Amino acid sequence: MKKILLSLLIFFSFQLSFAQNSNEKLSITLKDETLENTIKRIESSTSYKFYFDSAWLNSNKTLISGTFNNVSIDEFMSAVLNKTDLNYVVIKNKVILTLNSTIYSTLPSNYFPDEPLQTNSQGNDQNDNPVFYQQYDSTSSYSVSKKSSIVFIGKENKDTTKKTFTVTGTVKNEENGKPEANIYIKVKNKNISTSSDLDGNYTLQLPRGINIVEIKSLSHKEVTKTLVVYDDGQFDIELNEKSNQLDEVVIKKKGQRATETVVSGLVSIDIENIKNVPLILGERDIFKVATTFPGIKTTGEGSAGFNVRGGKEDQNLILLDNAVVYNPQHFLGFFSAVNPYTTKKADIYKGSIPADFGGRLSSVFDIATKNGNKEKISGEGAIGPITSNLTLSVPLEKNKSSIIVGGRATYSDWILKQLDDERLKNSEAGFYDGILKYQNNINSKNAIEAMAYYSNDRFRLSSDSLYKYSNRLFSAKWDHTFNDKNKGALILTNSEYKFNIDYHSDDINSFDFGYKINETQLQLKMNYKLNEKHNFSYGVASKLYNISPGYQHPTNPNATLVPTDINKEKGLESAIYLADNYKVSDKLLIDLGLRYSLYASLGPADVNTYESGKPISDATIIDTKHYNNNEVVTTYGGLEPRIAARYFFTEDFSIKAGYDVTRQYIHLLSSNTTQSPTDTWKLSDANVKPQSAQQASLGLFKNFGDDEYEVSLEGYYKKSKNILDYKVGAQLLLNENVETELLQGEGKAYGVEFLIKKQVGKLNGWLGYSYSRSLIKLDGEFNEEIVNNGKFFASNFDKPHDLSAVLNYKFTKRYSLSTNFIYQTGRPITYPIGTYNLGGAQYTLYSDRNEFRIPDYIRLDIGINIEGNHKIKKLAHSFWNISVYNVLGRNNPYSIFFVTDPNGKLKGYKTSIFSIPVPSITYNFKF
Amino acid sequence: MKTLLKNKIAVLLLMSTIFISCTETYNLKTDSYEEALVVEATITNELKKQEIKLTKTARLEEEGVQLETGANVVVTDNKGNSYHFTENSEKYISDSEFKAEPNTEYSLEITTKGGKKYQSSSEVLTTENQIENIVPKVVSTQEGEGVQISVESYDPTNTSKYYRYEYEETYKIIAPKWGDKKLIATGPQEIELIQSPLDIQICYGSKKSVDIIQTSTTNLQEDRVNFPVRFISDQDYIISHRYSILVRQYVQNLEAYTFYKTLKEISSSSSVLSPKQPGFVNGNIKCVTDTESKVIGFFDVSSVSSKRMFFNYADLYPGRPLPPYYVPCIDAEYRFCFGFGDPPCLGRQLITELNSYRLWYSYNTNDYYTMVPIECGDCTTFSSNVKPSFWTE
Repeated sequence: MKKILLSLLIFFSFQLSFAQNSNEKLSITLKDETLENTIKRIESSTSYKFYFDSAWLNSNKTLISGTFNNVSIDEFMSAVLNKTDLNYVVIKNKVILTLNSTIYSTLPSNYFPDEPLQTNSQGNDQNDNPVFYQQYDSTSSYSVSKKSSIVFIGKENKDTTKKTFTVTGTVKNEENGKPEANIYIKVKNKNISTSSDLDGNYTLQLPRGINIVEIKSLSHKEVTKTLVVYDDGQFDIELNEKSNQLDEVVIKKKGQRATETVVSGLVSIDIENIKNVPLILGERDIFKVATTFPGIKTTGEGSAGFNVRGGKEDQNLILLDNAVVYNPQHFLGFFSAVNPYTTKKADIYKGSIPADFGGRLSSVFDIATKNGNKEKISGEGAIGPITSNLTLSVPLEKNKSSIIVGGRATYSDWILKQLDDERLKNSEAGFYDGILKYQNNINSKNAIEAMAYYSNDRFRLSSDSLYKYSNRLFSAKWDHTFNDKNKGALILTNSEYKFNIDYHSDDINSFDFGYKINETQLQLKMNYKLNEKHNFSYGVASKLYNISPGYQHPTNPNATLVPTDINKEKGLESAIYLADNYKVSDKLLIDLGLRYSLYASLGPADVNTYESGKPISDATIIDTKHYNNNEVVTTYGGLEPRIAARYFFTEDFSIKAGYDVTRQYIHLLSSNTTQSPTDTWKLSDANVKPQSAQQASLGLFKNFGDDEYEVSLEGYYKKSKNILDYKVGAQLLLNENVETELLQGEGKAYGVEFLIKKQVGKLNGWLGYSYSRSLIKLDGEFNEEIVNNGKFFASNFDKPHDLSAVLNYKFTKRYSLSTNFIYQTGRPITYPIGTYNLGGAQYTLYSDRNEFRIPDYIRLDIGINIEGNHKIKKLAHSFWNISVYNVLGRNNPYSIFFVTDPNGKLKGYKTSIFSIPVPSITYNFKF
Repeated sequence: MKTLLKNKIAVLLLMSTIFISCTETYNLKTDSYEEALVVEATITNELKKQEIKLTKTARLEEEGVQLETGANVVVTDNKGNSYHFTENSEKYISDSEFKAEPNTEYSLEITTKGGKKYQSSSEVLTTENQIENIVPKVVSTQEGEGVQISVESYDPTNTSKYYRYEYEETYKIIAPKWGDKKLIATGPQEIELIQSPLDIQICYGSKKSVDIIQTSTTNLQEDRVNFPVRFISDQDYIISHRYSILVRQYVQNLEAYTFYKTLKEISSSSSVLSPKQPGFVNGNIKCVTDTESKVIGFFDVSSVSSKRMFFNYADLYPGRPLPPYYVPCIDAEYRFCFGFGDPPCLGRQLITELNSYRLWYSYNTNDYYTMVPIECGDCTTFSSNVKPSFWTE
C-alpha cells in the first residue's frame, strides 16, 4: 500500500508542475504537542490539508514545542519534521508527508539513459543522484524483489554533502534474542563488509542509496536486506534458523558462499532442503543425499558405508554432536540411522579436514542436532510406509533452555507377521532409534548441551540367525567465553557399537556370537582471535578404546561346540593441534593447521612375535608375550599438517588448494565386498600398523548470475599407506591371530569432481559428475602377500564415472516435482573363470582380484511434494510426499556371488535390490 | 485406515522385492574363461620313478579333466643333473629312478607344446622325518563318536614343522546276508536256487584321501606331531571288521604349506558368519615367456615317510554290535506267482530284479521269497574281492 502511494506521489510530482504555495503564512505556538495534534491544529487554522499515514506519526513520539510567527509552511514543516524520518512536499495547499523519501520536482539528469548525460560539476559521483527505489521504467540494476520490503535508514536530505553514512546495529538470534557474534555482513556488488563482534554489534560505512546487504554465517540462514540509506542510522538484524519468514527476506542458502570459505572439498547439506529430494520408501535420508554429490559413493544401494574420494568405508569419521557413530545406517544400509528431523546440518569434509578432527583418513561427516525451540512447544512428524517418526521440542525455561526428543520406528515386523508366506513369517526386520538433546544458554558466557542417542537393528533373513546391532552415543559440551578474544569448549563423548548373532537352529550347536567396541573421548577446543588477521584455534583430545573382538558361546548345554572368547583390545589415541586462520589480504586466506597424534596400544594383551624373514601366519609364531593391564605394548604417532588456502581472482571466482595428512589407528575388518554390520573394528597393535594418507587438492569455484549458480571444479590426488586388505581365503571372525590374515598395502586415488548448483528459482538442484579412480597395491615379500602380481588394481569401490543429478521444479507454492538420476560404472568383482582338479579334488579358479565389473548402475527416482494450504492459522503445517524409486525399473545388480552346490557344480547368483519401481507415500506434519 | 492399507501394500511390495525376487541365478560369463596350466609336482626322497601331473583348467560349465599333453618336463638340480619326464598314461614319469637328495636345489621346467615356458623357483629337500606311530583311538569329538587315527612323529632337530598328509585306507567287507544259496531267474517265469559262489562274501574296499590335510608344530615347544589324520564314525561300515591305513607324511616348507592351506581355505564352505575373500592362489611356478599367463600349482620337494597300521573292530569295540552295513539290508517279500492274487503276485517284478542283479536271496517260505539288496549278499557289487598284497590277518 505504502509503495503504491509512494509511486503515485512520484508520478504526480512529475506530472504536475511543482509549485509550492508559500503565500499563506502561519503563526502557531506549540507546547509538547504530538505531531498529529500539530497537524490537526494547522489544518483547522489554515487552508492546508495534510496527507499521510497516521502510523508514521505514531511512530514519531517526539513532542513539538516552539513558537512560530508568520512563517512559511516550508519553514514550519522543516522545523517540525527535523527530528523525524518524515519528509514533505507542498503542492498548492496540500501538504504530503512521506516516510524517509523525498519527492523530487525534477528527474535526475541521467534518469533516461538515452539522453546525453549532463556534465555534473561534482564529477561522476552517483551519490548526488536521488535514490529512486522502484524504477519501473528502467531495467532494474539492483535485483530488488518486488515483494521484499525496503528498510530505510535515516531521512533523505537533499542538501547533504556526506557521501557515506554510518549504519550500526546488533545481530541477534530471533529465537532467543541472544546476540550473534562473528556474523559476516557484506554489501553486494560493493567492496564493503564487516563482521559482528562478540556482542553482536556491527558498524558499516554505506554509500547513500540502495545497498543490498547480505548477512551470512555458517550456522544461520543467509538473509538479504535492501537498505535505502539516507543518513546515519541503526539497523538491527535478526537471524533465525527457520525458513518461515515471510516476504522480507530472500533466503538463498545456508552457509557461506563456496567461493569464500578456505576449505575445498566441503559438502554442506541443508537439512530443510532435502525434503525435496525423492525418497526411498518415504524416508528422508541425509546420507543418500550426500552420495549424490561428487566424491561420495557407496559400493551399491543397500550397502552400508561410504567411500569418499577413493577411501575405504572405515576411513570416515562420522560424528553426531561430536560422538562417533560406528554404524550410521539401519537395515543393511537402506535407511540412515541419523534422524533427519532432529538434524540441523551435515558438513562433509572430503578434503582440507580441519586440524581439530582426526583419526580417520578420508573424510569427516560432522552432523549437528537441532536445538530445541526455546519459546513454544513444537513438533514435526512423518508417517511413511516403513517407518514413522515424531520429533518434539519443548522449552524448559523460556529463551534459555530446551529439550528436543526424536524417535523413529518401523512396523515392518508387524506386517511380516501378517503374511501368509512361511518364509516371510519366519523373517524379522525392524529398527528404531531415538535421540534426546538438552541445551541451556546459562548466561552470555556459558552454554551447555548434552545429547543421548540409541539405535537398534534386528533382522532375521533366513529363519535361523537373528542379527542384532546397536549404536549408543552420549555427548556433553560446555561452551565458555573467557573474553572478547578467547573462548573454548570442553567436550566429553562416549560411543558404543555392538552386534550379536543368535544362530538358532535345530542343530545342537546353536550359538550366540557377539562383538563390542566402546570409546570415550575428552576434548578441549580453544579459540583465540588475535586480531582481524589471525584467528587461532588449538586444543587437545584423548580417546580410550575398548574392544571385545568376539565371543562364540553355544546356547545348547549339550553342544559340542567349544566356547571361544577372543582377547580384548585396548588403545589410547591422543592428539594436540594448533591452527591459524590467517587472512593475508582481502584476497588471500590461509588456514595453517598442524596436528600431532599419538597412539598407544595397551595391555592386557598377548602379542605374537613372528619369525623374521617369513610371512606372518599361524605357522610362523615363535613367541607370545603377555602384557599386563595398561602396559604399553607399542606406540605410533606422527605429525598431520593440514593446510588450506583460498585466493580470489575476482569477487566471485576463487581458487583453493589444500594439503592434508591424516592418520588412522583403527581398522574395519571386512571380508565382504561391502560393509556389513558384522564387520569388526580392530585397533592397531604390534602387528597391525596404523594407516596414513596424504591428499593434495586444487579447486576452482565460481558463482554466476548473482550467486544463483555455483560451479566448482575440484581435483585431488591421494596416496595412502598400510591400507588393510586380506589374504586370499582370509577368515576374520573369531580368529585369535587375525593379523595373519591381513595385508597392508599402498593406496592411490585421484579424481576430478564437477558440481553445478542452482539454489533458487523455480528450477533448482544440482548436477555432479566425477571421474575418479581408487587403486590398491599389495606387493609383499612373499607369494601369499602378493595380489595381482603386485601391481595396482581397482579397489572394491572403484567406479570411475559417477553422474548424479537432483532437480526440483516448483510449479506453485504447493506443488513441486523432484527427480534424482544416478549413473555409475559397475563396481569391480573377482570372478570365477574356470575349474581345475588337484590331488583328486575339484577347485575353482578365480580371476585376478577385481578384474571384472558388474554392469553399470542406472537409476531414476521421481517425487512429488504437495504442501498443505498456506493458511497462517492452522493446527499443523503438513505436506505429502509421493515418490517412485527406480522409475525405470532397471535391474541393477547389487552383487554377484558364486556358490558350489552339493553336486559340486558352481552356480552364479545375482542379487538386485529394488529391481522394480517402488512407490511410496509419506505424510509429514509440523506444529 | 486408508493410510494403513496403503502402507501395507507398500510394505508388501518392499518385502517381496527384498526377500523374494532379489536373488536370481546369474549365468556365468563364459567369455571370462582363462586357460591355465595346473601342475601337481611333488618330488620325494624315495628312490623311484617320480611322477608329475599336468592338467588344464576347464570352463566352469565343463566336466572332466583336460590333460596338458605333449609338454617337455625336466627337473634339474644345481649339481648338474637333469631328469627328463615322459608322458605315460595321463602322467609324466621320470625316465630313470631318482630321489631328491638333501642340500640340493631342484627346479622344474615345463615347456608346453604351445611354446610357453614355465619355471619353478629352486626348492630344497625338507628335513627327513619318520612317522613313529599310527594310533587308533576311540574318541568322542564334535563330529560324534568314532575312531580317530593319529600320526605320531618327532623331529629332534626342530626343523620339519610343516606337514602334509595323504592316506590310503583299506578295509575288509563281509556281506552280511551271504548264504550258500543264490536265486537266479532261469526263464521268463521260472526261478531256481543254486549254490552261491564263495568268493563274493569277503571283499576289500579302498579309498584315497582327496582333502588337503595339514598341520604345523610351530606353536609347540618341540617338533613333535600327534595329529589326527583321519576320523571314522562308529557308524561307518568300513571299520566293521578289519581296517588298515597307510599314511604318507610329507614334510613341507612354509611356502608349500601356505599354498595348500590357502587352497583349502578358499574351497571350503564359508562360515555362517562371513564369506571368504576369493582370489587367485600364487604358487612357486611362473610362466617366463608370458607373465600374464596363469599357472596353478606348487613344485614341492618333500621328504616323505609312510607307515601302515591295522586294527580290528572287535579289539576297539569288544562285544559291541557292528555298525550299519554299506546299505541297509531290509527284507522285502515277493510272492512268486503271476496274474491276480491276494496278497498280490510279484513274480514279474522279482524276475526283473533278479535279471538286473539287484536282489539277493535270503530265505523263502513256499512261494514267498524274502529278498535283500544285492550288496548285502555280494560285496563284489561295490568292492573288490582280491586280497591286497600287504593284507595280513
